[in-house]
Amino acid sequence: MSELGLVVEDDLDLAIIFSEALQAAGFEVETARDGQKARDLLTTTIPKVVILDLHLPLVDGPSLFEQIRSDPRLKETIVVVATADARLAEAYQDQADVVLIKPISFTQLRDLSQRLHKE
Amino acid sequence: MTLQQRLRQFITVSSADPDDARRRQLLNIFLVLLGLIAAIAIIADLALWKAQEPQEALVILVGSLITLIGLSGLYWLNMRKSGTLAASLFIFFLLLIFSFSDSPKEIVDGRSLWVFVVPIILASGLLKSWSSFIVAAFSSGIIVVMALENNLFPNLVALFLYFAMAFISWIIASNLERALAEVRLVNANLDRLVQERTQALVSALGRERAEAGRSRAILESIADGVIVFDLRNKATHVNPALVRLLEIPEEKLSAITVDELSRAPALDAKNRGILAGLLAASGKQISSYRIQWGKKTLSVSAAQVTDINGERIGTVAVFRDYTREAEVERMKNTFLAIVSHELRTPLNAILGYAEMLKEAIYGPVNEKQVRASDRILSNVRRLLDIVNDLLDQAQIEAGKMTIQMQPFQPAALLENVIEIMNKTAADKGLTLTSELDPELPQTLTGDPARLQQILINLTNNAIKFTDRGSVHIRLFRPNKKQWSIEVTDTGVGIPEDELPHIFEAFRQADSTLTRRHGGFGLGLTIVQQLANLMGGGVTVKSKIGVGSVFTVTLPLVVNAQTKRRKT
Repeated sequence: MSELGLVVEDDLDLAIIFSEALQAAGFEVETARDGQKARDLLTTTIPKVVILDLHLPLVDGPSLFEQIRSDPRLKETIVVVATADARLAEAYQDQADVVLIKPISFTQLRDLSQRLHKE
Repeated sequence: MTLQQRLRQFITVSSADPDDARRRQLLNIFLVLLGLIAAIAIIADLALWKAQEPQEALVILVGSLITLIGLSGLYWLNMRKSGTLAASLFIFFLLLIFSFSDSPKEIVDGRSLWVFVVPIILASGLLKSWSSFIVAAFSSGIIVVMALENNLFPNLVALFLYFAMAFISWIIASNLERALAEVRLVNANLDRLVQERTQALVSALGRERAEAGRSRAILESIADGVIVFDLRNKATHVNPALVRLLEIPEEKLSAITVDELSRAPALDAKNRGILAGLLAASGKQISSYRIQWGKKTLSVSAAQVTDINGERIGTVAVFRDYTREAEVERMKNTFLAIVSHELRTPLNAILGYAEMLKEAIYGPVNEKQVRASDRILSNVRRLLDIVNDLLDQAQIEAGKMTIQMQPFQPAALLENVIEIMNKTAADKGLTLTSELDPELPQTLTGDPARLQQILINLTNNAIKFTDRGSVHIRLFRPNKKQWSIEVTDTGVGIPEDELPHIFEAFRQADSTLTRRHGGFGLGLTIVQQLANLMGGGVTVKSKIGVGSVFTVTLPLVVNAQTKRRKT
């Protein structure tokens, strides 16, 4: 069974691109376009990688980040924070496993995912 | 008019010479007194007419009348014509009367000998002071002549005493004249002084009033609200603009204290503190803050008011309506946030799809399609660069850009930049070379991200304006305390008159060049602003057709405390 990657991104196009990148790296992908759906998916699945946008409707990114970090089931989960806000990126530098500043290139994310998939 | 005034007017003679006036007045006094005596004599004579011998009474009446007429004539002469003539005649008549008023023996050496003293003394008072000598001589002459005619021997002692008396009265009169002259001079000086002072005071007051009027007019007409407090923190001046701005009635505002103003209901607790602190602690330098006054945003500046000796005499505060500017600033920030998110998100999407097409994620692609994807990618990246430049520029201007100091390797920085820029240079057929000064320490402290931005902006700019030749990047150490980034190109060069402006935002030498080479011209502005933020600067040398050299010089920090990146 292939490993699960979760894309949490409200913008449809970016969600598609991020999904394609993860798939290209060999992940099976689930996509959540709002915080609530992401919260539900995080309670029912154990993704290996989460691509997490910080600006989300319903439940915001930082809350989801806290949820992942405080859930012992998800202690192996790699969190990739994706944001356009340089100051937020700075803030997550030490907490997240990887921080990507938008714009995020497809090849950049695919190559990163490939490395993570092999780990 | 009182009797005294009438009398004074009656005897006063107006004359340009004060001595002459004084003498004529004195003569008038004598004339009036003698006139009165003559008048009394006439009345008495008429009253006692029956008791006298008719002839004797007639003689007295006629004599007194003649005297009265003579005195009136002298008075007229003295008032209207010449004082000297009147006085001379008066004394002459006195001498004449005295000469015939007694028996010659009594006159020459008897009881009437001394009546001649009277005209001698009067002469120095009524005429020039030395005329007493003339009268003395005259009197002496009369005595001598009378003595000889009557076979008497003149009283030489009396004659001597005449001259002695003349001398004494001359001394007294001349001293009096001199003293009076001095008093007049002193008075005249005093008058002149008083006049001068008065004039000076009047003109000074006039000037002051004009000055104060002008200052007040300026204060009244400026658009900014101005309030001046004295040392007891009570308002002394308030202009109409402040009344409008603060919406406090003028009666209340014109005597408001610092405390009352700081406790105004339009201020919340935080802004009360700011205003009170600003007004209380104002120094010689002007300090400014922004406060929220009800719905208005006000910029408040305060400074000490000092007099010409530098003594503090109060505080002045200037209030400016900043509401619209604050609104514009908020809109600008909102706009930037929108640009940041709304512009970059679709660009990110275009970038991603173009990459996926090129990477054949959606099926096989031919060479032309790959090239088309490349063109899309390079254009999207250019657009992203512009958006990023705009945002950086806005952040720096808003003072939001911070510098994160940390250790870095100049060699790695240079290598990284060459790697990023190589393709861009190669695409234009340019050679990109680099050089690292061995004098430069292996590890420096700085903000590598911002330094890379400086290097990339300078290199990009060099490549953009160079059609053939090379771009050379050099990191070196010009002296012990600084290090430099230098980017040299063999491009078109910059006209000399444009050199001072090339770091200004949205300005690029010759707009046709801009059209040909693309770009907003923000790169150099950002380089300069970043260099300044790091405590350094940027210089440029250029020659048309030969090329340009940009040099960023920064302080060399090797072992500075590293600031950790943390939340």
